[in-house]
Amino acid sequence: MAIAVRWTGMKTFVATETRVQLHEWLAIATGSLVQAALLVFVWVLNKDLLAPALIGALIYSVFLIGQRVLNEAAYIRIDHKLNELYHASPMTPESYFLGMSIGILIAYLPPIVILTLLLEIVRPLDLATLAALAATLLAVWASSSTLGYVISTLFKDMKTIWPYSSLLTNLFGIVPPVFYGIHFIDPALRSIVLVVPTSSAVALVEGVAGMESLTSGEYVLAGVSLAVEAVVLLSFGLYWARRTAREA
Amino acid sequence: MDAVVDEKVLGEMRKGRVFPAFALVGWRWIARNPVATVVPILLPFFFLYFLHIITPPSEQATLFPLQVAGAMLFTTQNIGSLCLSDSAYWRLEQRLQDIFVASPLDKFRYLFGVAFSNLIPAAPALVVLGIILAYSTPVSLAAWLVLGAAIFAIWVLYSAIGIAISSRLQSQMEVWPVGNLVFTTLGILSPLYYPLTILPPVWQGLARFLPATYAALLVQDALGLKTALPAEALTDAALLVISTVVGLLLAMRLYQWRER
Repeated sequence: MAIAVRWTGMKTFVATETRVQLHEWLAIATGSLVQAALLVFVWVLNKDLLAPALIGALIYSVFLIGQRVLNEAAYIRIDHKLNELYHASPMTPESYFLGMSIGILIAYLPPIVILTLLLEIVRPLDLATLAALAATLLAVWASSSTLGYVISTLFKDMKTIWPYSSLLTNLFGIVPPVFYGIHFIDPALRSIVLVVPTSSAVALVEGVAGMESLTSGEYVLAGVSLAVEAVVLLSFGLYWARRTAREA
Repeated sequence: MDAVVDEKVLGEMRKGRVFPAFALVGWRWIARNPVATVVPILLPFFFLYFLHIITPPSEQATLFPLQVAGAMLFTTQNIGSLCLSDSAYWRLEQRLQDIFVASPLDKFRYLFGVAFSNLIPAAPALVVLGIILAYSTPVSLAAWLVLGAAIFAIWVLYSAIGIAISSRLQSQMEVWPVGNLVFTTLGILSPLYYPLTILPPVWQGLARFLPATYAALLVQDALGLKTALPAEALTDAALLVISTVVGLLLAMRLYQWRER
């Protein structure tokens, strides 16, 4: 019973948020432009890296959902003051945070499906790799959605958010080995990039697909860090959603 | 009496004092939000790092100066995106544009003012990239002048495009997707980070419609990079001017200064 109460309004809010997001088709269509740009750079400069770059584009697309959560949560709270209304309703803060994240994930699935099909054309994946891909995408979504939601609660105007959002997406997407293989990284730095959610997810998928060679210790490090980050961050997100439900 | 005061105020505006005012706006923004300064400086370097990694080692030395010059033009082009965000924020969220319209400031001074205030956060990145360029390849005085002229043309044109588009937006939620669509697409299509000649013919044809392509070709030629065709330098310069003027005219046509 307590669990049911905790998730009151979840289904309705998922449906609402999905509809809201689908209404903004331009944002969905342009949400993959940065990935497209990076894939174009790879295609023009080094076609051999296209398959790993497509895996990176998939992971990065899911990571960007966190940025969408950040924008949406901030827009609802700062511009429309709608969160007050939502929090005054029977919907719980947990359902608000998770409903928004799931709704955005559903709306942004089409570009992810297209990228998966492109990847299948460029390099067909076996079942184990597809399973690894699905699991890592889910873990990255959990981490990035929480980061996006938590960060959105720290700002008082939309304009201040943009530079932070840009910095985060670049620090997690362009700098670490997401669109290029981990073998480009200095051996001393491999363990560092294997604890970054995006690059650990890419390394795991590419390792399972046989595109990169990882030691068993590196598999454990990447897998455990990705799983722990996802669980810890999502739990913190749920706690934070409840804590910040009312404005100070 | 009122007319005398109005003339006096208009006289002050025409002296160009609006630029220091907008410079102050730009400075206050970065002084209050240091991350807003750091991000435009870091972004081209993130990109350069990524391009350095994916470029085959045999071509890294040749392409690096081209990519640094490309990063300078790309940074300038992105000022347009900042102008779009700023003017949309002022108009939609703070309703400040109504005050600008009601003031003696005309739309051209407003446009240049916003462009100028957004040049300030991008200026440190341009300076640092210029220093790297000077270290990576010999740059003559003429090449610096050509680079400065190309940056100026791109700055004016893309700022005008950003502000013109912002005047048509209905909500803050449109800022990010529309800005992303326009500036990322233009950034990909123009061969700023790679030679035009390695692109497929159809893409080369499309790129020829964009001013940034001619800016890139002109700069590459001025720097003596093998990727450019020296014989076409004058044509590229002429096409840069023509496409910039055409782009500005289109942007001015799209630009809506007063609410309908």
